[in-house]
Amino acid sequence: MSMHERIGTIREAINEALHEEMRRDDRVFIMGEDIGVAGGVFKVTAGLLDEFGPERVRDTPITEAGIVGLAVGAAMTGMRPIVEIMFSDFTTLASDQIVNQAAKLRYMTAGQTSIPLVIRAAMGAGRRAAAQHSQSLHAWFAHIPGLKVVMPSNPADAKGLLKSAIRDDNPVLYFEDKMMYNEKGPIPEGDYTVPLGEARIHREGTDATLICTSSMLYPAFDAADQLAEEGIEVEVIDPRSITPLDEETLVNSAIKTGHVLIIDEGYQNYGVTAEIAARVQEKAFDYLDAPVRRLGAADVPIPFAPSLEDLTIPSADQIVEIVHEMRA
Amino acid sequence: MAHEVVMSQLGLSMDSGQIIQWLKQSGDNVKAGELLLEVESDKSTVEVESVESGILHIVLEPEDGDIPVGKVIAYLLAEGEQPPVSEKLAVPTATPAPEPAVASPVVMAEKKLESGGNKWPRPNRPPSTPAARRRAKELGIDWRLATPTGSRAAIKERDVIQLAESLKAATSPAATPEVQISPVARRLAESVGLDLDQHVQQYPGKRLERVDVEQIIRRLISTTQTSAGSPLKVIDNSPAQRQSMGRLRSLIAERMTYSTKTYAPVTLTTETDATELVRIREGLKADPKIEVVPSYNALFAKLVAEALLEHPHLNASLEGEEIVFWETVNMGIAVDTERGLVVPVVQNVQARSMHELALEIEELLPRAKEGKALPDELTGGTFTITNLGGYDIDAFVPIINPPESAVLGVGRLIDKWVVVEGKPAIRTMMTMSLTFDHRLVDGGPAALFLQRVKQFVEQPYLWLV
Amino acid sequence: MVKAKKDLIKSPKDVSTSGLPLDLLLDMYRRMVTIRKFENTIYDVYSRGIMPGLAHLYTGMEAIAVGVCITLRKQDNITSTHRGHGHLLAKGGDPNLMFAELLGKESGYNRGKGGSMHIVDLSLGILGANGVVGGGLGIGTGAGLSAKMLGEDRISVAFFGDGALNEGLFYESANMASLWKLPVIYVMENNHYGEYTPSSRSTAGTGPARAEAMNIPSVSVDGNDVLTVYQAAVWATERARAGQGPSFVECKSYRWRGHHMGDQGDTYGYRSQEEVEEWMEKCPIQRFSKHLVNNDLVNPEQLKAIDDEVQILIDDSVEFAKQAPYPDPSEVFEDVYA
Repeated sequence: MSMHERIGTIREAINEALHEEMRRDDRVFIMGEDIGVAGGVFKVTAGLLDEFGPERVRDTPITEAGIVGLAVGAAMTGMRPIVEIMFSDFTTLASDQIVNQAAKLRYMTAGQTSIPLVIRAAMGAGRRAAAQHSQSLHAWFAHIPGLKVVMPSNPADAKGLLKSAIRDDNPVLYFEDKMMYNEKGPIPEGDYTVPLGEARIHREGTDATLICTSSMLYPAFDAADQLAEEGIEVEVIDPRSITPLDEETLVNSAIKTGHVLIIDEGYQNYGVTAEIAARVQEKAFDYLDAPVRRLGAADVPIPFAPSLEDLTIPSADQIVEIVHEMRA
Repeated sequence: MAHEVVMSQLGLSMDSGQIIQWLKQSGDNVKAGELLLEVESDKSTVEVESVESGILHIVLEPEDGDIPVGKVIAYLLAEGEQPPVSEKLAVPTATPAPEPAVASPVVMAEKKLESGGNKWPRPNRPPSTPAARRRAKELGIDWRLATPTGSRAAIKERDVIQLAESLKAATSPAATPEVQISPVARRLAESVGLDLDQHVQQYPGKRLERVDVEQIIRRLISTTQTSAGSPLKVIDNSPAQRQSMGRLRSLIAERMTYSTKTYAPVTLTTETDATELVRIREGLKADPKIEVVPSYNALFAKLVAEALLEHPHLNASLEGEEIVFWETVNMGIAVDTERGLVVPVVQNVQARSMHELALEIEELLPRAKEGKALPDELTGGTFTITNLGGYDIDAFVPIINPPESAVLGVGRLIDKWVVVEGKPAIRTMMTMSLTFDHRLVDGGPAALFLQRVKQFVEQPYLWLV
Repeated sequence: MVKAKKDLIKSPKDVSTSGLPLDLLLDMYRRMVTIRKFENTIYDVYSRGIMPGLAHLYTGMEAIAVGVCITLRKQDNITSTHRGHGHLLAKGGDPNLMFAELLGKESGYNRGKGGSMHIVDLSLGILGANGVVGGGLGIGTGAGLSAKMLGEDRISVAFFGDGALNEGLFYESANMASLWKLPVIYVMENNHYGEYTPSSRSTAGTGPARAEAMNIPSVSVDGNDVLTVYQAAVWATERARAGQGPSFVECKSYRWRGHHMGDQGDTYGYRSQEEVEEWMEKCPIQRFSKHLVNNDLVNPEQLKAIDDEVQILIDDSVEFAKQAPYPDPSEVFEDVYA
């Protein structure tokens, strides 16, 4: 891994990873709606068509189940496909191929085959795109044995996680936050990979632990700054992989601080926050000085009106309030 | 500067005393060393010297009844000085009794739990966090004592830490004031093994001089002679072996003291003809069909129990103003062990067969002798028999085993020449002594009971049927 | 060698069926008999309660699987359906390993972890039966995609039923296959019933018409005539190998048994016994053997010999399966992830 890095956006980091991996391995190709000629609706795949040509960079019809289905077949017969599903909401259309086929073929065939597939999708609210274009449905897929789910929160992790996902021989869902593509940060140059199943501690503290996924890192940082002014030092951890989950890091932090808040943009009910909370309380129980708390998106379809939409997304203020409650 | 005169601690176990009389009046000019008042504790009456000089200002009188140790009873004032306000309520600067917050944690926890018990979903369990409980376990303290500061009125880890700190503060040596003492006085105190910490409260803020230590010693000597539990070492240079009293010995000492002090014991003695009893027992011994031959203790236990059924006052106890008549006879049989006297108890003797009793006593007594009786087997007695016949003792005055109200002492079986129906005969005689509590039973009824016991010894058929 | 477009067979009828080598004909016969006896044995074993789970029997449809698969090479891919034993055996699947899989034994193709509907053998290009109706369509098409991208000499056949024709995935996959000219053959096995619903009540229009609408050349043949199916398969595989893109072959046939072994009887209240018997008269194996014998292409003893051999083969596979051990409990957690 090179020590050099440049400052770039998450979009650039993903783009870079795609370019590097497609150069590295001819079997890697990418399919999706408007990814080729148009460079992707979020411009993430710009430049790929020019470099790799239409065979390996395929614009598809609007046909999510078909795209993933073809990708599964191709993955079974020697290719390493990357599928882009424009909005994570539309993974629903490909559910059978993801859940019943991709996730299970290796197990059902007792290891005769593997499905080295990456599905990239854009998640997250805040774009005023309303209920069917704003969801974060990663919890559903994390629930399925056989699938892996990763969510980068910053440019370096975006690059590193995508490269690892592409090299992983399992179906990996890679969720990008549509509001974070312009987020800047250091991007290590060269063959920089981030292992799946490893969390990252962004900020150390002793008074409370904030476990936050994807774009929730940013309100968590804001909250941490606010709390620091009151003398409360919180630890901020990004799991990065939802499955496999780096339980050890999370539990150790819980033991250290005794106060845990999990923040995720999926709906709160039955979400990722619930699973992480359950695991943390199970293993760190004796050290908890307050119940493990969770903060997800409000359990409502995401409204269009900006004033209403903003109410449904976890905020720094909410985080600060919950930390206060835990320590009361 | 007003000097406080407090109720002094005149013995290790004293926690309060009564003023019998002041030997000086308010306004009197008292000199250090002069006798000031007479104080009675539960052991004795003591004359107390004044430690300081000054003009006496009496605060508490004999009518004030029981006064806790350490409480101010008077002041010695300088010329023209006024006594401090709120005299009667003045709290001494150093109290011997520990702070209530820390005394008897179990009591405190129970009080706390009682008060909150009703409003918690689980009775006697205040809300708490796992971290708090874990920390309490690590620190070895009861988390329920912590004062909750958490939301939902929960005890949090910080509350347990706080509790630990306050416990430490209360019991740490730093809490008790350093004893200020002159080197000479210290050497004197050490030479007699005097524990100054207990006496320091009488000299708050004062540096102890030799004369103070001598006064303490004198006081202790006078109280030792009339009370138990004196901390004073024997001032004697004779060579001697020392051994710790041991728990059992302490307990026995306590009970014996209590017994002599509280009861109104009277002892009746009678000589009884045990020939018939012996003959029956020998017969049982000779019979091959009898597996377990009842011991004399077993026989006595049964016949005394039968007698008690007819004389319930001897199977009773005085509790405050009430007489408690026990419905069963649980016979204690005193047994001598290496560590001291123990009294294993056979339950329900009046209802059990001779055979059963024989078996049980045969098993229980040797075990008790080895110190292997279970705690349950050493309690619950309603009457005690002490048999010193095996030690060639003819007769003795036994002490009642509290809370019972009578005890039967049995001496040895000895063949004697006696007169039977006008003719001399050799009979196996035995002396029995009954000590009873005269508060509860008068001589006449007690005598009737003893007479009945004698009858049962002499005519076993009366109770064997 | 890839032919130029103008030299390609224009229609299945143009495929000659006279002068076919004897081995080929006997092979066709053998394969069909293997399927028939395998399925009959399942019927027997399952009825006795020895076989767990579900079994969907292919009895009566043997000509389709055999007619198509006999034109495929080992490396060519097939995806199958929940009624997949026929395709698996026709593609060269081992009856021992198949039966063991059906009984959930460790010696089965999938070590007992897949069962009847998920058998895979990559060495034979078998990408699996599938428990989801139409579930194999995307995968089969994807195999065609990879063949094209990798430049491999490999085509893909996706078998599916008249029921699956109405699944959206068919159109999504076939559309892309047509757009990108993928070497895929869509073989629609029209046995006239989607579970218990006749296709007349479920399908507007016909399969071929729908395929044609996506620019996919389509034919419809008698699925009970193995030679007719063969003709269509030759036509379609040649197209695929020549890079001409996908083809659609509808084979009309009938399944004698119920939808699955849980049906009480072959009619189960949704079809008539007369109808079943009518189709049984058109038994593809009998038709073929008659054709072979009547045209002096074989003598009956040869056919009988094959019958007997296959019977032994199948009987052995049942024994093999029965003797095989169950998988070790530790296997529950294996192969979830690569």
